Amino acid sequence: MSEVLIVVVIIAILIALGFGLIGMVKGGKQGSDKMFKSLVVRITLSVVLFIFVMFAGYMGWITPNTIMLDAPTVQTSVDK
Amino acid sequence: MSEQEYYIPHGTYWPIIGSIGVSTLFVGFANQMHGAEWGGSVMALGFAILVFMMFGWFGQVVNESTNGIYNKQVDRSFRWGMSWFIFSEVMFFAAFFGALFYARQFSVPWLGGEGNNIFTPDLWNAFSASWHQMAFLAPGTELQSGTVMSFPAIPDTGIVTATPADVVDPWGLPALNTALLLASGVTLTFAHHALRAGHRNQIVGWLVATIALGAAFLGFQIMEYGHAYQDGLKLTSGIYGSTFYMLTGFHGFHVTVGVIMLTVILYRVQKGHFTADNHFGFEGVAWYWHFVDVVWLGLFVFVYWL
Repeated sequence: MSEVLIVVVIIAILIALGFGLIGMVKGGKQGSDKMFKSLVVRITLSVVLFIFVMFAGYMGWITPNTIMLDAPTVQTSVDK
Repeated sequence: MSEQEYYIPHGTYWPIIGSIGVSTLFVGFANQMHGAEWGGSVMALGFAILVFMMFGWFGQVVNESTNGIYNKQVDRSFRWGMSWFIFSEVMFFAAFFGALFYARQFSVPWLGGEGNNIFTPDLWNAFSASWHQMAFLAPGTELQSGTVMSFPAIPDTGIVTATPADVVDPWGLPALNTALLLASGVTLTFAHHALRAGHRNQIVGWLVATIALGAAFLGFQIMEYGHAYQDGLKLTSGIYGSTFYMLTGFHGFHVTVGVIMLTVILYRVQKGHFTADNHFGFEGVAWYWHFVDVVWLGLFVFVYWL
């Protein structure tokens, strides 16, 4: 569930970034306003997402990519 | 200049100087990698030519703009030019994220026998498909004198495997770097707001903060690479090492470019080149920085977490 939510927010961030680009290409007062507002949405969503990812990791809802092999560990010391 | 006329720069020599700079830099770099003593000097020369080109070319465009040579049509050209550049950047990173997704979701499970082993019959019976641990060091691999390595071994084969998972801890530097880069996105947004409101002193302060945060990100990224490399994660560490370094390396390069661009914008703000209504140079760089920020967020989520 958390994974789905994270992906959805990332898509929303990309859409906001895309609207910002449209505003930039359009130019003028209208375009400039659109760009700025879109980028405010983009950074707000990003900060919220980061906090959520860290919180979800802390709560154990998602697990980081740090899986270890089951194989036994060996020590290799090399002296040349 | 009227709306009917279109300014076309004549006799510009900066592209060829840029090409010479890049070529010199790469010749020096390639030879440095092959152990040539002169490689470093040639690299430095190439870098100096590039810096010279940047000062010259940027300066010329800025002068043309401040002298009122550009009209609205040129402004539109700049905006479209930037949008195509951004399109190429999006496709560039989409390719690497696509490679990461494909390798992780399809290639590695297939190599591990998924799908009734139809794709890789009897590839290697000791092979164990696992994301991250794809690098194998043959016994007797020459290591630096005194190096002690702690790697899991494949039972009964004596083959030790590198464990990049050991060194990629999302709670450490990656999380700090994400916070730094997001903070730089916030400070840049404040600078953008200050520019639109016409508060020049505030723009300078927020821009300096953005540049400092970007530089701090790069510093920590270099530290992270140092740790990862020492602990066995290299470009040669299988598909994980390759995609990890390609994605984070190119992202770091883009942050470097972004810091250079922001520094130029800071200089231009101090010179009073931008007004509340006319500041495309700032807008282009701001969007680029937001994009680089989003790429890192994607990296943090998909490489380190999901």
